[in-house]
Amino acid sequence: MTRTLARSLSRKKIVTNEGKVIGTLKNIIVDFDTGQIIDLIIYPDPSFDTSGYRVEGDRLFITFEAVKDIKDYIIVDRYLSRK
Amino acid sequence: MIRMRTQITELFGLSIYTEKSVFVGEVEDVIIDIEGKKMESLVVGKLNQELVDIKNYKGLKIPFRIIRAIGDIVLIRHLPGAFKSGNFDET
Repeated sequence: MTRTLARSLSRKKIVTNEGKVIGTLKNIIVDFDTGQIIDLIIYPDPSFDTSGYRVEGDRLFITFEAVKDIKDYIIVDRYLSRK
Repeated sequence: MIRMRTQITELFGLSIYTEKSVFVGEVEDVIIDIEGKKMESLVVGKLNQELVDIKNYKGLKIPFRIIRAIGDIVLIRHLPGAFKSGNFDET
């Protein structure tokens, strides 16, 4: 089981499984009742094309379902991350 | 029921109390299970010294399953023995 400290994720880069940088992690949305992790809140890189993604203001949301792995970077599935 | 969807950073610094209103500490960090996509436990800071044995003190983690509610504080089950040993497996 892969575990990590929430604070250690702060400002980590989000990268798709095809190697494209989406942006930097801002926060994580969780459900306090169930403990489930719902979404990543990301500051997208200025060069990143956000069309097809969930965007609110200057922040981009990606479902945690799309997360494949977290080590030095947060790797997300390029199809699942869109909605 | 209204789903409590909140930013994880809101947890940091919240006071943790048991159901018998014993102060345990403050939320310092959250351990997340990446594959399970859930919060696994809370890392406790500013620990109430009366609750733990300093001898075998390696830091206290509160498993998410003993949390009763999260609001202005974090309310957990009252398990005094578990705080001393740091072992919540028997609960």
